[in-house]
Amino acid sequence: MEGELDEELHSFLEMAAEEKMKEGMSRKDALRAVRLERGNLEVTKEVVRSAGWESFVETCWRDLRFALRTLSKSPGFTGVVVLTLALGIGANTAIFTVVNGVILKPLPYPQPGRLVMLWERQLSGGTLGSVAPANFFDWREQSRSFEKMAAIDPYPDFILTGSGEPRRLVGAAVSSQFFSLLGVRMALGRDFWPEEDRPGYNQVVVLSNPTWSQYFGGSPDIAGKLIRLNNTEYTVVGVLPRDFSLVSRASDFESRNRFDVWTPLALPSPPEPWQRSAHALCVFARLESGASLRQAQADLNQVAANLQRLYPADDKERGITAVPLAQYVVANVRTALFTLMAAVGMVLLIACSNIANLLLTRGVTRQKEIALRIALGASRRRLAQQLLTEGIVLVLFGGLLGFSFARMGVPAILRYLPADLPRASEITVDGRVLTFTLLISLLTGILFGLVPLFQSQRVSAQDSLKQSGRGMAPGQSRLRGALIIGQVATALVLLTGAGLMTKSFWALLGVSPGFQTEHILTARLSLPPRYTNGYKYGMGRHREITAFQRELLERVRNIPSVRSAAFTAYLPLAGVDNSRSFDVEGRPAKPAGVYDVTKYRPVSPGYFETIGIPIERGRGFEAGDVEDRPLVVAVNESMARMFWGAQNPVGQRVRFDNGEWRTIVGVVGDVHYEGLAEKPGPEMYIPYGQVPNVEARPIIVARTLIEPTNLISALRKAVSEVDPSVPMDQIETMKQIVSTSVGQPRFRTAVLFVLAFLAVFVASIGLYGVMSYLISQRTREFGIRVAVGASTGALLRLVLGQAVKLVSIGISLGLVGAMVLAKSIASLLYGITPFDTATFASMSLLLALVAFAASYIPARRAASVDPMVALRYE
Amino acid sequence: MGDKSGDLVQGTLDMLILKTLALEPMHGYGIAVRLEQMSKGVFRLNAGSLFVAFQRLQRDGLIRSEWKATENSRRAKYYALTEQGRKRLNSETREWGRQVAAIARILEAS
Repeated sequence: MEGELDEELHSFLEMAAEEKMKEGMSRKDALRAVRLERGNLEVTKEVVRSAGWESFVETCWRDLRFALRTLSKSPGFTGVVVLTLALGIGANTAIFTVVNGVILKPLPYPQPGRLVMLWERQLSGGTLGSVAPANFFDWREQSRSFEKMAAIDPYPDFILTGSGEPRRLVGAAVSSQFFSLLGVRMALGRDFWPEEDRPGYNQVVVLSNPTWSQYFGGSPDIAGKLIRLNNTEYTVVGVLPRDFSLVSRASDFESRNRFDVWTPLALPSPPEPWQRSAHALCVFARLESGASLRQAQADLNQVAANLQRLYPADDKERGITAVPLAQYVVANVRTALFTLMAAVGMVLLIACSNIANLLLTRGVTRQKEIALRIALGASRRRLAQQLLTEGIVLVLFGGLLGFSFARMGVPAILRYLPADLPRASEITVDGRVLTFTLLISLLTGILFGLVPLFQSQRVSAQDSLKQSGRGMAPGQSRLRGALIIGQVATALVLLTGAGLMTKSFWALLGVSPGFQTEHILTARLSLPPRYTNGYKYGMGRHREITAFQRELLERVRNIPSVRSAAFTAYLPLAGVDNSRSFDVEGRPAKPAGVYDVTKYRPVSPGYFETIGIPIERGRGFEAGDVEDRPLVVAVNESMARMFWGAQNPVGQRVRFDNGEWRTIVGVVGDVHYEGLAEKPGPEMYIPYGQVPNVEARPIIVARTLIEPTNLISALRKAVSEVDPSVPMDQIETMKQIVSTSVGQPRFRTAVLFVLAFLAVFVASIGLYGVMSYLISQRTREFGIRVAVGASTGALLRLVLGQAVKLVSIGISLGLVGAMVLAKSIASLLYGITPFDTATFASMSLLLALVAFAASYIPARRAASVDPMVALRYE
Repeated sequence: MGDKSGDLVQGTLDMLILKTLALEPMHGYGIAVRLEQMSKGVFRLNAGSLFVAFQRLQRDGLIRSEWKATENSRRAKYYALTEQGRKRLNSETREWGRQVAAIARILEAS
């Protein structure tokens, strides 16, 4: 193109020069004269080129103004389209914002692709588990494919004193490279030094940003200051940046990944022998640059083989598994979020086909305009460009409105997000979201903007001009039919998905948790170190703890409207857990590395009665089950069945770690500890006074006669009367705990339900519109039929027959799509099979009924047409 | 510069080019020379204005172009009127005639 212009201009100048030379000029003079007369070659080229560009811009501008004028002439149409688009695009943007923040965005650390988590894996079962400190120590020593490896112990709590009333701070102990591994720079002060990661040198803390501002007034000279934690002086060395968050699965960190204070882990070197059997750490690692996950895993397998040989008692059956951090964190929510994304995409598709239908209808009236313009010589390309401009103007308005809907909607969604959704803090409307909105807007614009042209392609200019707007293009009703079939099918897919989720959610709510949920108040107490005698991991004394508990329980039971009260170390459904290996008396010893494992629950006397766990056999715990009395335990039904079968376990004896034998005195009902959807496993209850290691964070459980939250202040008062240095927090009713535990299924069910409703609503509007239109096209025909004696019923059947045909094709296709969806969400369902016949049938029926209603109204109108009116109708 | 195309009434250049091409297909220089001759030297056109007009007319489908050899066996792009161009020329000529007559009447009336 450019070259052509060059050549053309060149030949122009040559010809002009030749003319001059004929008059006797020299070639050089001739060329100069031509330049003077006709202009410089380069300048000319520039002028011509820019004129071409200007005219393109001008055309666009003209199209834009034309589009605005056309659209503003039909405000009803424009309004409906823009609003439909805004809802569709807004919903998509909102859901995408969540998916983006949780899954798509890179982790908020430098070079996040190299971050992995390392877990111990039971070779037989394959489940991932926390890491024993001694194992971590050896992994770090022996592996070679990691630049850094660090561990976090998420359990230590601290009581902050010295500024107002005592506060519990959620703590984490980390090995020295933890922060540098993640690439975190302190906002203030410094990271831990490696020499502080040793026992005896670890009285240093890093504060989280909120802790720093909340308890220390955000003072800029905090670094180097001493603060009092657990009655010991700690030196503050640094403050984390405001935007730091530890990306994790909530369940790994006791439902709390927001740590207030961090201290060094300070493992002894070499670790103590018992540190190979207490599995409490989460291990993070950064791959050596260039090392692949596969290499790292091979490396770890070698390390594991080594440890299996060296420490058969603990590690014989243990492997190591490396999982990319990004993948690990969201593994449980991926399916659900992508399902919601697909669902909201389907709603947009339905909305698009509605708009396409509207455009088709409008296109009939515009057909003449388009045909006229083609006849007058407008090229199809120009027309396409102009129609496209119209489509793009529509979607840009729709997209803009949709984006603002999404911006308003995202905070609302954030409020209803499940509490244990990972990376929820990263959900923001950012540039990626904006790009996404723009992209889907343009895509939809192109998609339906071209529909009228597509349609005009089928009609020759003459045909269309001859017709007086009455007729319909032959392909048209087929196109409309296809759109309706698509809408019905898509709506059914969504409806079935929502039906399955809802049914599954009801099944989940219908699960009896095994305890009472009404009228139960719970709160966590944190006992200062003097109760535990500075205990750490080892054996401790419980006399002080049980004394405190006894005194507090007495006071609490005396509060009017408290029926009973008790303590437990772990509440069901609260995401906290502990398990231990045990032996049964009189049974042959297991081979090395093989254990029987049970969940382990320290509780106070009266716990079963208070929370409503039935005692099936024997007895519960009594005030006399204390430290220096015979050791007793209770087991749940699952444990009784699993280890004693039909035998009565009461009277049998068990022990932990070759300790003293403990007699089983009772069998109690199963409880859903892990989640309503999880099967109860074997559990063992131990009286608080007899636990083998100290539990310094008892949870008080009170059963009340009135609304439990009304008793919070009375409870707080009772605690401070017994010991004002004991902080109380995490105050929740059992109902709240149950409700939080089903947060994820509730969220996805609710969202899918809303989307399915939208889909059905939009699709039925579409069906109504198309039926009305098709009928209006045949009004004359109906008039004639009535005039020659057709009955109302016959007409109704004729019209409805058409609708029934489209809808049933749509439903058949929809059923196929629904099966595909059901299969992909099978892992999210509880208590029903994905191909639940009742759901498939009832949802198809529901959709069929809605579709029937949507087509019956216009059909009814058509059937009651007055033949005289119809025949004159034009 | 000897550009006198500025003296042309806005929009008339296109009409004049169409008129020139109504007789036979011509290359750019030929069109320029013919316009000068027919106007007895009143319109001497700058290459820039000329080629911008060619592009505009071509885009609107009023003329089409083709590379051919000239009588001096030089390669040049020849422009020819399309059916649409012919129609446009007719309608514009008519319109022009009406406008000129109207303007003349107004000017003479005073």
